[in-house]
Amino acid sequence: MNNPYLPIPVTIKKITIENEARDIKTFDLAFNDKKDAGKFKYTCGQFAEISMLGIGEAPIGIASSPMDEELVQFTIKKYITGVVTSALHNLCPGDMVGIRGPFGNGFPMKDFEGSNLVIVGGGFAFTTLRSLTRYVLHEKNRVRFKDITILYGARTPGELIYKSELKQWEERDDINVHLTVDRGDENWKGRVGLVPNVLREVAPSSKNSVALICGPLIMVKYTMLPLMDLGFKPEKIFFSLEMRIKCGIGKCGRCNIGPKYVCKDGPVFTYKELQGLPQEY
Amino acid sequence: MENVKLKIIKKKDVLNFLDSLKKEYNIFVPMEKNGDIRFSKFNSGEDIPWNYRNTKISPKEIFFPQTETLFSFEAGTSALSNGSRAFKPINEPKGSTPGTTNYLIFGIRPCDAQAFSLLGKLFGGDDFQDPYYIEKRKQATIISLACNKPQITCFCTSLKGKPDNEEGTDIILFDLGENILAKPITKRGEKFTENLNSWFKEAKKSDVEKKNKLMDLSLKKIRSGVNLQNIKEKLDEAFDISLWNEIHQKCLGCGICTYLCPTCYCFNITDEKDHVAGASTPSRGKRIRCWDSCMFPLFTLHASGHNPRPTYKERMRQRIMHKFNYCPENFKEIFCVGCGRCIRNCPVNLDLREVLVSLMSLGSLCKDKKI
Repeated sequence: MNNPYLPIPVTIKKITIENEARDIKTFDLAFNDKKDAGKFKYTCGQFAEISMLGIGEAPIGIASSPMDEELVQFTIKKYITGVVTSALHNLCPGDMVGIRGPFGNGFPMKDFEGSNLVIVGGGFAFTTLRSLTRYVLHEKNRVRFKDITILYGARTPGELIYKSELKQWEERDDINVHLTVDRGDENWKGRVGLVPNVLREVAPSSKNSVALICGPLIMVKYTMLPLMDLGFKPEKIFFSLEMRIKCGIGKCGRCNIGPKYVCKDGPVFTYKELQGLPQEY
Repeated sequence: MENVKLKIIKKKDVLNFLDSLKKEYNIFVPMEKNGDIRFSKFNSGEDIPWNYRNTKISPKEIFFPQTETLFSFEAGTSALSNGSRAFKPINEPKGSTPGTTNYLIFGIRPCDAQAFSLLGKLFGGDDFQDPYYIEKRKQATIISLACNKPQITCFCTSLKGKPDNEEGTDIILFDLGENILAKPITKRGEKFTENLNSWFKEAKKSDVEKKNKLMDLSLKKIRSGVNLQNIKEKLDEAFDISLWNEIHQKCLGCGICTYLCPTCYCFNITDEKDHVAGASTPSRGKRIRCWDSCMFPLFTLHASGHNPRPTYKERMRQRIMHKFNYCPENFKEIFCVGCGRCIRNCPVNLDLREVLVSLMSLGSLCKDKKI
């Protein structure tokens, strides 16, 4: 019987510090055994358990795109209270960790084909939306999607992650990128404002559109109002939720919202699905 | 026709019978230790406490131990760049797959046998299988012992149970005094008694009559009950009712209800490192899983500090809703067998039956109606 609790060995190839506070890093991981890489097939929005033997495991959203071959990327924020994330942040390229997954449902990318995409992210939760953006911008995929609008906000300019990639996206003419910060600094020439407010200003059309939201709970909550005002139907709004997750396979019993398990039935839910669930997240 | 399959074994022969199976099976029997009865490995010469009511700790621990090693690891030769040593799994993956011994669980109560069939639905499943539970359960023969003397906290008849409930068991035994009547339920149970035919003889009509009488009597002794008809549908609309503000009030959050419950399965996964004598850094360790409890705040606490179930109220609601609403939704089964352990062992006498009665008596609930 296949044992879903065993981590697969991977090696850290590269670590990128993503923010000014230096507590968000992107880890490029390569499978030690090429055969394992072939088995690790994932979709945008799925997550995996990153494992350090002797320390523990933490569930992290996959930041790379399914079109990226050989490497799997995870952008991980270090929390003082997070045993595993703190230990991971002490590692260097060449070190070995483990990975279990991919888990969760991910975004229904096939269903999005032919639609406009409105991508709204806040803080470092932007990571799975970055996976999705890379996927839809891939030369083989771009034609399948209509207009793509990204609205991404962080507290300060220094806290925006994936900076070089954001710059590349801003230079492309097949995607609208809107960056915003809560507080600017002397070098910041972009927008200043909270994501929900900027969303009202940008006002993307809801016609033939889906909205994809990842961010802190408070941002997600206040993003609903402008989206509804813009005419987005609850079944066209997709979130990725976070929960304390251990097993990742719907057994350990902690990540449920009502009868739904975030690790197995989620982490992606539509607003409509969420409206049918208890407000316990 | 029923008595064709029924067998009799003399009570005084049971110990020798179990002894003869020791080589072939990993036998677990109820055993008295420090005033409590608990399922333990069978030792020759130790008698079965035939009159025991039920164990304090549920026999789920045989297939789903309180602490279980998922796999072990040892320090490799290479060091991590932070100075600590990198660990690698030992004998991975083969050595880390669960052991497979033939288990023989002898004398568990029918409610606990039924609990195994519920746990099987969780640990089995169409998408992911939990090999640690499933492999052990697959190899097990379960012989249950019908209840002659239910306790005042028993309420199995409010669920799907009764003193001689057959769900989840391969053979059910009836204590007739000098004789034990055995009724094979499954193919595995039939084969088991056939293979060990020399220990058994055919049951007589009088034995069966005695058994039926005992069971009628036993059933009457279960006096407490809650009408749980449509409880799932009722609770569908009960998440926001104000009753939750009341029921948790005396709960201490100790979690004993979940630890002793035969159907509670929530667990945690953590790593442990061992020091070898004299070594300055740990050289080996293991990843373990252990029982966890929805009654503890840490169960759902995020690293960010956010907790979706921050108070006793949400945690108590989770325990009730999980058993009586979420599991019926996901597995078409109520995850409670009415064994009464949570009632007997609660330090503040919080009675699940009373909670269920108040929930059931709410009449037709409406989401925005605060009752």
